[in-house]
Amino acid sequence: MISKWVGKRMVMGIVVLFIVSFLSFFIMQAAPGDPATAFYGGNAQTLTAAEKERITRAYALDRPVAEQYLAWLGETVKGNLGTSSKEGRPVSEIIMERLPNTLLLFSVTMFFIVIGSIWLGTVAGMRAGSIWDKGLSTFSIATSSIPAFWLGILFIYFFAVTLGVLPSSGSSDVDGNGGVVDKVRHLIMPASVLIVTHVGIYARFLQESIKIENSQYYVKVARANGVTERSIRKGIVRNASIPYLNYIAITIPSFFGGSIIVESLFAWAGIGQLTVKAVATKDFPLLMGSIMVTGVLVVVTLFIVDLIMYAIDPKLRKGGVR
Amino acid sequence: MKSRKTLWFWCCLLGLIVFLTVFSSLLAPFSPNKMNMEEVYSAPSSEHWLGTDHLGRDVLSRLLEGGKVTLAVASSSVILSLVIGVVYGGISGYFGGVIDTVMMRLLEALITIPSLIIILVFQAIIQGGMWGMALLIGLTGWLVTARIVRSEFIRLKEEEFVKMANMFGTPVWKILWGHLLRNSIPAIFVVTLFNFAGAIFMEVSLSFLGIGIPPAIPSWGNMLYYAQNDILIGAWWIALFPGIMIFLTILAINFIGEAWKNPERRRVND
Repeated sequence: MISKWVGKRMVMGIVVLFIVSFLSFFIMQAAPGDPATAFYGGNAQTLTAAEKERITRAYALDRPVAEQYLAWLGETVKGNLGTSSKEGRPVSEIIMERLPNTLLLFSVTMFFIVIGSIWLGTVAGMRAGSIWDKGLSTFSIATSSIPAFWLGILFIYFFAVTLGVLPSSGSSDVDGNGGVVDKVRHLIMPASVLIVTHVGIYARFLQESIKIENSQYYVKVARANGVTERSIRKGIVRNASIPYLNYIAITIPSFFGGSIIVESLFAWAGIGQLTVKAVATKDFPLLMGSIMVTGVLVVVTLFIVDLIMYAIDPKLRKGGVR
Repeated sequence: MKSRKTLWFWCCLLGLIVFLTVFSSLLAPFSPNKMNMEEVYSAPSSEHWLGTDHLGRDVLSRLLEGGKVTLAVASSSVILSLVIGVVYGGISGYFGGVIDTVMMRLLEALITIPSLIIILVFQAIIQGGMWGMALLIGLTGWLVTARIVRSEFIRLKEEEFVKMANMFGTPVWKILWGHLLRNSIPAIFVVTLFNFAGAIFMEVSLSFLGIGIPPAIPSWGNMLYYAQNDILIGAWWIALFPGIMIFLTILAINFIGEAWKNPERRRVND
C-alpha cells in the first residue's frame, strides 16, 4: 500500500527529472553547430545525406522546438542517448561502463558516513556538555571547512608520492585484472576524502536532534517511570533519525557535486569524471547523457531515503504528511 | 564570555585575510605573473617565502592576488543570490496561498539538482570569464536564502505589530521593507555568511576542475589546478598554501556564522 506521502514524493521526483531534461535539452539547442552532426558523433564529412535524414527524422529536428523536445525525450527514455562526438561510441555504452564505479564509490562512502555519523552523533548527543559533545561540534565545523579536493591532493602527496603505498589515480590497474584487492587500493583515497569531509556535519546534525529529543517531556516521564536507559536511547535515536534522514536528503545533491570533483582528482572512472571531461572537450551528447544519468541517480537516492523515513516514522505510515 | 572572545578571534582572522588580499598589489613582493625560468619549482626560501611554481612565479604573490580574485567572485555572486533570494522568498512568504505553494514546489525541485551540474552545463556552452563565473554562482546560490526569507516572512506576518500596521493602513511597501525585511536581517545575515563560504567552495572547485576562472588569472582554485600535477614531483608548497588559505577563510566564516546563529531561530529554519 502506497501512502499519499510516498506518492507525493514520486511526483516530485518526476518533476525534478523533467527539469533536468530541460537543462539537458537546452544544451542541444544552445550548443554551437548542427544538432544532427552532434548526434551522429563522428566527423561531419563522413555524415551521408541518408544518415542525416534518418537522424533528422528520429529527433524531429525539422519540427518546432516542442516537438524536438518530445522526440528527444522519447529517444532518451528508450535508452538512446546519442553518440559521443569525441569517442564515436554510443553515449549509453560509455555511461554503462562507468556507472558501476560511481555506484561503488557512492555506496561505500555513504555506508561509512551513515555508520560513523550515527555512532559519533549518538555518543556526543547523549552526553550533553561532555568533551564528546563540544569536540564533535568543533570537529564538524573544521572538517566541513576543508575543500575535499585539497585534502585529496595532500593524501596523494603523503600516501602515493612520499610513502608510495597507494595508487595516486585511476579506478583499477592498467590491464584491469587486479581483482578485489586492487579495486580496494584505488578506492581507499577517494572514499576516505569524502568520508572525512562529510561525516562530521551529519554527525553534528544527529547530535543536535538527539539533544532536542533528550530534553523532551516524554523522555523525562520515561526516566521517572524507570524505563531502562538502553530503551530510552533507542527511542530517542529513532525519533531523532527523522530530521537526520531529512538532512541527508537535503544534502545528497551537494554530495553528488562533491563526488564529481573527487572523481576528477583521482581519475576515478565514474560518471562525475565523465561529466567534467565532456565539458572540457565540449562533447555535448556525452554531457547531456551524463547529466540525465546523474539526475536519475539523485532522484533514486532521494526516493530510497524517503522510503526509509516512511518505514521509521509511524506518522507517515498513518497517512500523515510532513 | 569565552564565545565572544572566539568570535572576535575569527572576525579578526577573516578581516586580516580580506585586508591582505585587497591590498595584494601593494603587499606582494613580486608581480604575480612574472615568470622566471631559472627558478622553477624552488622550495620556500628567504627570497621566495612560499616558493615558486612551474613557471617560476612567486607563490606568495599569487596567493595574495588569487585571494582577491576568489573573494571578489564569491562576494559579487553572494550579493546577486542575496537579491534573488530575498525577492523570491519575500514574494512567496508575503503572498502565501497558491503562489507560495507553486513557488516552493519549484524551489524544492531546483534544490534537488546539484548546482555544480547546472554551472557545468552553462560553462560548457558560454565558457564565461571571471564575471561570468560570479554570475553563474549567484544565479544558482539563492535557494536557501529564499527559503529562510520565506519562513521569516511567514513568522513575522503573524506578529501583532505587523497586524497592527496593516490595520492602520500602512502602505504595503513600508510593511515589507520596514517590518518584515528589517526584522529578517539577522537570519538573512547568517544564511548569507554560509552562502559566502559556499560560493568560495564553488569557485575553487570549478577552477580546480579547469573550467572556472580562465587560467591566466590567478585564483586559489586555479593555483590548486596546477598544483595537482606539481604534487606528483614532490612540490608540496604549491598545493599546501592556497588550500590553507581556503580552509582558514571558510573556517572563520563558519565559526562566525555559528556564533551568530540564534539557537531558537535555528529550529525553525532547519
